[in-house]
Amino acid sequence: MVRSRAERMADWAVYAAMLVLALAFLLPVLWLASLSVRTQAEVFMGAARFIPEAPTLDNFARVLRDGGFQSYIWNTVKLASLGAAGAVALAAPAAYALSRMAFRGKGALMLGILSVQMVSGLVVLIPLYRFMDRLGLLESHFGTTLLYIAAGIPVTIWLLKVSFDAVPRSLDDAAAIDGLSRVESFALITLPLALPGLISAFILNLILNWSQFLIPFIMLSADDKWPISVAIFRFAGSTSAATTQLLAAACLLAILPALAIFVLLQRYILAALTAGAVKE
Amino acid sequence: MGQVELQSIHKSFGPTAVLDDINLTIADKEFVVVVGPSGCGKSTLLRVVAGLEEASSGALLFDGRAVNALSPGERNVAMVFQNYALYPHLSVATNIGFGLRRAAMSRREKRAAIERIARLLEIEPLLKRRPNALSGGQRQRVAMGRAIIRNPAVFLFDEPLSNLDARLRMQMRSEIRGLHSKLPTTTIYVTHDQIEAMTMADRVVVMNAGRIEQIGTPSQIYDTPRTTFVARFMGMPSMNMIAARYDGDALVLPDTRVPVPADWPERLAPWVGRELLLGLRPEHLSLRTSPGGVPATVDLTEPTGSETLVYLHHGDTRLAARTPPDTRLRRGDQVHLDLRLDRATLFDPDTTLALPTLPADPITKGETA
Repeated sequence: MVRSRAERMADWAVYAAMLVLALAFLLPVLWLASLSVRTQAEVFMGAARFIPEAPTLDNFARVLRDGGFQSYIWNTVKLASLGAAGAVALAAPAAYALSRMAFRGKGALMLGILSVQMVSGLVVLIPLYRFMDRLGLLESHFGTTLLYIAAGIPVTIWLLKVSFDAVPRSLDDAAAIDGLSRVESFALITLPLALPGLISAFILNLILNWSQFLIPFIMLSADDKWPISVAIFRFAGSTSAATTQLLAAACLLAILPALAIFVLLQRYILAALTAGAVKE
Repeated sequence: MGQVELQSIHKSFGPTAVLDDINLTIADKEFVVVVGPSGCGKSTLLRVVAGLEEASSGALLFDGRAVNALSPGERNVAMVFQNYALYPHLSVATNIGFGLRRAAMSRREKRAAIERIARLLEIEPLLKRRPNALSGGQRQRVAMGRAIIRNPAVFLFDEPLSNLDARLRMQMRSEIRGLHSKLPTTTIYVTHDQIEAMTMADRVVVMNAGRIEQIGTPSQIYDTPRTTFVARFMGMPSMNMIAARYDGDALVLPDTRVPVPADWPERLAPWVGRELLLGLRPEHLSLRTSPGGVPATVDLTEPTGSETLVYLHHGDTRLAARTPPDTRLRRGDQVHLDLRLDRATLFDPDTTLALPTLPADPITKGETA
């Protein structure tokens, strides 16, 4: 395709705008990176030493050796992956029903499910806390995981419905003729064929859960149960600038797994989010 | 072990009636082709028999036993779908053997059954492949293998050849027919292709707008259509429909009078002075070398090699004639046509039904007797 001069100019304008946007998001991360490789002395120099004179990896080494940090990361892995698996497992049958069955009020139900996603966690924080308290589920990873699952289900239902929609209906018919029940047809035909969608939904949940803060913050008060997000917040609020460089290193390390997953698997995530957008 | 009977089957989707009072009995081992234009309800009919759709009312009997309440799996039917509907994540062998999951057979017996079917359909080398590594024709065979292996009481085909190219379609047509003579099983075959209907069927069911227009052998359908719809739908080009008035001893056309055969006046007595539709197949119009007959003007000729189709008009009436391959005519040429009235079908223009006083057709008579 031949592009006109005006179009190329427009392209450059878009790139420039995107660069500004990217900087707005990247600067805090770069600042974090800068702090994480400084010595304690250089932390006090502030922005004047954006690139430190004596960069050190010592902070990372100290954080990684710290038993507390290891426990926070492990808690995060556990909560995030169990929450993601639970959300996918529970959303799948619902998404299948929405994909395959016709019933009155289906459109309204789907919008209702989506609208749950629009409610900010902050709005329901206090009732949620009291609710979980009554159930005796506070201070436990089990209760926390249940909330992670609940938070992930709405968007997962939508994602999976799109994946199931992409599996041809005639395969359901063929399976019915071959004598399979609905459940068997779901398990043996639809699920395996929607596997890429299931995986993307799982990964997306994993990333969202990795950065989850509000739920564990209200649910867990014991240090040994915290995921990394809560731990960092608590330390940032309680310690002096003497440990800023350590905190920065911990933050950076905490971001890395989510970032790595995203970079490695972004193709799948993007595929899941845009599936069904165009007819192939 | 495979008689299928539909008694007053109705099916509506919401307010829309898709099947309207369908009555049809298919004999054991019979090959019935259901044909009709898109949206006539033929696929829904098949899906009702399969159990994929529930009839809104009416009874469906297999060998005299009501099966309305049975699931597709319990009905012992097998179906070949238009898009084959092979399981993409399973090998050809697993696809073919999938219907045997519940069968009381050992692994080895199943394996043997799959290999026997693969030999029959000549797809043995493909057993380990996935469906996406197969050509259209091979997928079609796998789909048939999956249907055959369960030894069903009834085979259902839903436009199975419409995704294949013309040559392959012709080949598969005869293969399916050949398969039916090797494994005689009741078969309901749905298509919109009248050639498939004419060449494959023991009996043809012509459907239109949710109703059955006519049931009959291919030659009955072709030679003695019961309605103008059947007359127009079956046959390529369609049957010529010539509006004419009967005056007692001749049919009056815009520019000419065509004397009727000797036995017509007695049969057509009630029609004197009334309008009729004269239905004539293109092969029953012929070009005269001398003046007389019906004058017509040539619009278009289509030489196909084995014959030449000539499209003409007489007044407002468009006509088609099947003529020998050496016919040389140009647009605008004036010709004269002979009408073989002994092969004509007459229709009542108001009801669109063929007149009960059909001119006797010796060929059809011989077959139905």
